[in-house]
Parts: sequence; structure tokens; C-alpha cells
Amino acid sequence: MQEEQEFIKQLLNPKTQNNAFQQLLQDYQKPLYNHIRNIVLNHDDADDVLQNTFIKIFQNVKNFKGESKLFSWMYRIATNEALTFLKQKSKISGISSETLQNKTIDNLEADVFFDGNEIQIQLQKAIALLPEKQQLIFKMKYFQELKYEEISEILGTTVGGLKASYHLAVKKIEAFVSSN
Amino acid sequence: MKTFKLENEPKIETGFKTPEHYFENFSIKMMEQLPTDEPKVISIFQKRKTLILSVAAVLILALMIPILSPSSTNTQELDAVALENYITYQSNVNQYDLISVLETEDINNIKTGIVIEDEAIEDHLSTNSNLENLISE
Repeated sequence: MQEEQEFIKQLLNPKTQNNAFQQLLQDYQKPLYNHIRNIVLNHDDADDVLQNTFIKIFQNVKNFKGESKLFSWMYRIATNEALTFLKQKSKISGISSETLQNKTIDNLEADVFFDGNEIQIQLQKAIALLPEKQQLIFKMKYFQELKYEEISEILGTTVGGLKASYHLAVKKIEAFVSSN
Repeated sequence: MKTFKLENEPKIETGFKTPEHYFENFSIKMMEQLPTDEPKVISIFQKRKTLILSVAAVLILALMIPILSPSSTNTQELDAVALENYITYQSNVNQYDLISVLETEDINNIKTGIVIEDEAIEDHLSTNSNLENLISE
């Protein structure tokens, strides 16, 4: 925590800002990319959202109060950016966000940056049927293997609530994959 | 139909890939894109808030004018000259009306206030054409 405060000071000081931000990028670009990609599914969209996320982080780090960890604060920004992006995309296309998600999954097979087989597509289709929050929880827990405590800090849900949601999500996914 | 159990299966990866050297290039691209001179963000709400506050302040001040400056409403004391002019030129008050209002004491005051010198009387009488008539009467 002490180290983190020192690091935030470096991010705010104009002299050390650039080096500190480079360090931030090195440490967090991969996990944040994966988090965003799991939500938006497509590489180009994930690239756009990741850029917006880092710009937001850079602009708002001065407002970071240190109430949560820098890591969860950045994950929150990335989550919001990704969800907002999807909402805007579905609005522009004039389709519901569910239809957009199904369409994106259908396009995955032809995606050059997707190297998956039938079971991976099935899993994505099963996830798409879950409510938004359950989707987030499942992806963060199963794919990214974040701890419940970390997810709790990012999403502001209790650990107990998260465990229940995850359990429910797993049950629904298993039922979907079994019947298809 | 085979029952699918997530925990019995080997972990299913997302299958998402990135272009080659994506992250190296991303860092470089990102560092170039950083806003150098950060634009000042003024939220519309804040602007509106100041506007509303200033309008409210002006209104309050405007409403307080009659309270703060009673002089404007209560300075109705009549200016003596104005009153005199009014009575002389504007009204149909005649001297009898005035006399009826005056107390005996006031009349005495007026009498003592008018000191007529003998010479003035003489001058007046000599210029007065009716003097002879008056004497003959």
C-alpha cells in the first residue's frame, strides 16, 4: 500500500509521470486487455476500449482517493468503458445488446484473432444467456482467475453474493452446454 | 446425453489471440497519445450551478432593496419650500382658510415677526395713490 502511494505520487509528478505511466502500462495492459476482450469479444473493439481506458486512467489518477487498490480502480474504469462501448455499439447498430453479443459470437469463428474450437464457442453462447452481472462475475472468476475478494472490490458486491452468483452462472452454463 | 460439468473438464481457455507484438506496440502508441497539456474539464452542471446561484443572489438582493433602504419609502416629509409653492400656485386654499387654521398664538408670532419700520410705512403711503381717499374717509 505504501509502495502504491509512492507510485501514485510518481504518476502525478510531471517529472516522473512518463516513466511511471510506462510502468503502469507494462504491468496492467495485459490483464486489462484480457478483461476488456472478455467483455467485448472482438480484438479491434478491445484495442479501442483499452486505449480509452488508459487515457481515462491518466486523466483521472489525480482524483484517485486511494480508498481502493489502484488495480481494482483501473479494473472498474475498464469495465465501465467496455460496457459503455457495447451499449453505444448496439445503439448505433439499432439492435439490442443481446443480439449484438450473439452476432459477435457468431463472427468469432471467422475471427483471425480467435483460436477456439466448438466447446469455446458453446461456452461463449452459454455465457451470453446470463444476466450482465453474472457474465462479468463468471468471466472474471473462470477466465481471469481473479480472487473473490478482488472481484468484490471491483464490482462492489459482497464475497457471499459473488459466490452465489458464480455458482448460479456455472449451473446455467452446464445446463446449456449439456442440452446443446 | 452427456452431462457437462465445468469442474470436471480441463479449463476452457477463451481462445482469444492478439496480433503479434501487440502489447509492445500498444505501449508505444499509448505513450504517444497521452494528452500533454491536459484540458481543463469544466462540467456543465457546475457552470449551471454558478449561474443558478448568481441568479438567486441577484433576486435576493433585489428583494432586499425595500428592506435595506427604508429612506426611499419613508422620506415623505414635506419640503417646506415645495409645500409653500404648492399652496401658493396649485391649490385653491385662500388666505381665509389659512387664517382659520392658525391659532391666536401663531397670529401673534406673525405680528411680532413683521417689524415695519416708520420709513417703510411713509414710503408706502406716499406711493399709494389711494392715500387721499383714505385720509378723507
